[in-house]
Amino acid sequence: MNLEAELRAIDVEWPQTPQLELVLEPSRRRDRRPLVVAIVLAVAALAAALAVPQSRGAILRIFHLGGATVKVVDTLPRADARPLTAGLGPVISLDSARRLLPGLLVPPLDTVPPLHYGSGNVVSVVFERDGHPVLLSELPGGGGVYLKKLASGGSRIEPVRVQGDEGLWISGGRHVVYFPYRSPRLAGNVLLWETGSTTYRLEGPHLTRDEAVSLAESLRRG
Amino acid sequence: MEGRPHEPAPRERELALRAQGGDARAYEELVRPHQEIAFRVAYVITRNAADAEDATQEGLVKAWRALKRFRTGEPMRPWLLRIVANEARNRRRSTRRREQLVLRAAESSGEAAPSPEDAALRAAERARLLDALDRLPEPAREVLTCRFLLDLSEEETAAALDVRRGTVKSRTARALDRLKESYEPRG
Repeated sequence: MNLEAELRAIDVEWPQTPQLELVLEPSRRRDRRPLVVAIVLAVAALAAALAVPQSRGAILRIFHLGGATVKVVDTLPRADARPLTAGLGPVISLDSARRLLPGLLVPPLDTVPPLHYGSGNVVSVVFERDGHPVLLSELPGGGGVYLKKLASGGSRIEPVRVQGDEGLWISGGRHVVYFPYRSPRLAGNVLLWETGSTTYRLEGPHLTRDEAVSLAESLRRG
Repeated sequence: MEGRPHEPAPRERELALRAQGGDARAYEELVRPHQEIAFRVAYVITRNAADAEDATQEGLVKAWRALKRFRTGEPMRPWLLRIVANEARNRRRSTRRREQLVLRAAESSGEAAPSPEDAALRAAERARLLDALDRLPEPAREVLTCRFLLDLSEEETAAALDVRRGTVKSRTARALDRLKESYEPRG
């Protein structure tokens, strides 16, 4: 009995290789502007992936909204509950944030000054709303996959409108958010919407859908 | 048998140089042929498709960031496999899951069988062999899976398992002995 040959002869049914999304930053040597390039690797169509039993168990539905991708999976990947500010990059001044992203949305003034963070070309601001922290991230450049979120089957995903623009409201069950180059973390209720070529993400654990939409519609460019 | 060339193809070398210069498209083209094997190696280590996907994704992004350390005269595949497999091990350690490796033999292995009965018998034997493989201790299972089911070279197996090439040789020999003890073909 030649076990090597026996093993080599087995035609294993491997799980379907998934469609991978790589968020890559170009080398600084080549281009010093902070810029995020999203590359979707592999050409396996989603329909084909969903048709394969092994992958059907992993990805149940998928949504794209501008720079964001939402995948509904039956098993959440490992992620920790971390502060809203985790993985947002360094704190930057409002002027720096404006330079990174002209036309930045400005949160309503409150007693606590908002803090801006920059990572790649993603600009985030954390501010207070009724005593609770809220995170707003702006992802310019439509079409690219800038972050990946995974919602368990228990999460609700509802289409919403923000001043007429398309959006998604994700609430209920836990989900996981990935920012480029950062460890994933568990996320609370989130509103995603797209205006022009910019994708916005508003996260506030205490926000209801109507409050989130109302807050989003109150934001002005500054 | 080590049939894989140790020199990278000219095209791979060119893509690696362009990618090192910051060309993301070149990197995409460079790693695309290795994506499937990287995912499968990660799957063998994590035993979970979702973790394997995350490990592969994270590993390929890390490889991009570390690309300047890659020596363009070397083949890309072992280097990538080392990074992805390392990510997979990190995930396995943190999740502490012990799942069944759901490897199954495909119904049609591509070889002609003399009769349907013979084909069924052969399929049953292979399923038993996979079962015996899965019951081996982890280092033995991994080395045999990499070498014979994934058809990795010794160099690639050493990179994926983060051991020396000599260790791959000795571990393979011992693992085959153990597998022989636990697997007795019928008929």
